[in-house]
Amino acid sequence: MAATPLEVRNIKKRFGDTEVLKGLSLEAQKGDVITLIGASGSGKSTFLRCMNLLEQPDEGEIILHGDTIRFKETRHGREPADWKQVVQMRAKLSMVFQNFNLWAHMTLLQNIIEAPIHVLGKSRKEATDHAHALLERVGLTARANAYPAQMSGGQQQRGAIARALAMDPEVMLFDEPTSALDPELVGDVLKVMRDLANEGRTMVVVTHEMSFARDVSSKVIYLHQGLVEEAGTPDEVLGNPQSPRLKQFLTPNY
Amino acid sequence: MPDISAWFNDLLSGNLIFTATTMGYYWTGLVTTTQLVFLSLVIGLVLAVPLAILRSSKRKWISLPVYLFTYVFRGTPLLVQLYIIYYGVVFFDGIQESVFWPIFREAFYPALIAFTLNTAAYTTEIFRGAIKATAKGEIEAARAYGMSQGLMMRRIIIPSAFRRALPAYGNEVIFMLHASAIASVVTLMDLTGAARYVYSRFYTPFEPFLFVALIYLCLTFAILFFFRFLEKKLLAHLKPQTP
Repeated sequence: MAATPLEVRNIKKRFGDTEVLKGLSLEAQKGDVITLIGASGSGKSTFLRCMNLLEQPDEGEIILHGDTIRFKETRHGREPADWKQVVQMRAKLSMVFQNFNLWAHMTLLQNIIEAPIHVLGKSRKEATDHAHALLERVGLTARANAYPAQMSGGQQQRGAIARALAMDPEVMLFDEPTSALDPELVGDVLKVMRDLANEGRTMVVVTHEMSFARDVSSKVIYLHQGLVEEAGTPDEVLGNPQSPRLKQFLTPNY
Repeated sequence: MPDISAWFNDLLSGNLIFTATTMGYYWTGLVTTTQLVFLSLVIGLVLAVPLAILRSSKRKWISLPVYLFTYVFRGTPLLVQLYIIYYGVVFFDGIQESVFWPIFREAFYPALIAFTLNTAAYTTEIFRGAIKATAKGEIEAARAYGMSQGLMMRRIIIPSAFRRALPAYGNEVIFMLHASAIASVVTLMDLTGAARYVYSRFYTPFEPFLFVALIYLCLTFAILFFFRFLEKKLLAHLKPQTP
């Protein structure tokens, strides 16, 4: 049996006195699309950011392909014991951010080839060829030499997805990828994400797009105040919610 | 080149103040000013980049010494710094016997040291501000894509900070050019020194000082032009695109 691409166990995280994650676990098998839903403040973004250690979890394990990230205790709390391991792990988990976070001083093409060349050690030629193929796939061939500030939000986000794909990631993490977009631009980004899901990419997606969660995901996790309230297939969680809170969450309040 | 000097003499014949001799002074002054400013800027810049990185460190014991350096050199007049270095250097034991004495006997090197340290201090602060202003999200993206601290500094933070710092640094370059005029008070024959010398010979303030003012203006224009060119190239990402 192939090892699980990404497994996190019992993640706990506190900011000061507030415990925002109270022991969350998740297992992403190859080809899984896991969506994390929940109200603001439920901890879903923090949970996602703990998976690639943009936030340091206070407790819990992160395992990539059976390889457990090692931690050590320091005066300032828990820190990764081996940053090399973290760097390698991040290279396998590429992230797409709510605010795109493209590097502003680089063209879109440079953004895409940056990490493959300097982190993965690919040749410029190989990285550039790959980048052009990816740009075509997200429909941005014409914008290769544009700077992020010259592109619309939707274009930037599709560019950021191309940047993530350029790493040949094993798991893609999406942190509310459509939340900063104008409504008419959301569709293009979601379409790219649906295509990725259909081709069998392993994805963990924090989103407010219920239709995406319903149609695309293999598993939906509803978080409430740092705990899993309900989890299961979209049909179970979204079609037949059990807890009153989730029922209320899913009811359009207008 | 007899032709040119003959042409020059012809041009200046009948003029007592603008003669081939005084032109020679101005030329020496221009060379000195250019060397002094250029060298201090280059060395200052080379010093400022690592200093700015240290200055941005979260660890106090790293950033504090750099802060003290920039505070002292930005907090005292350049002229005082120049006096301290120029007049103070002889008090170092053994410097007059050392191989460095022929160097330090000249006014040029103390001036170069003072100017270099001064511009390094200002440039450090300019870069520190630019480093600090790096978008949080871009740093986060760099971390999320597996960049180490050093790689992120080299590929993301420094290039983006350098671009942000460019307009302010252009100002610093012009400031240094004009500040270099005070080198003349420690007997250095820079542009201003040349003008002072000519003035003291003829007691005519307008001709020599207006003439060097004109040269400073031309130099400033060249610097502005150079920085506009750089900004056009390096700050393209800030300009809206015209399709």
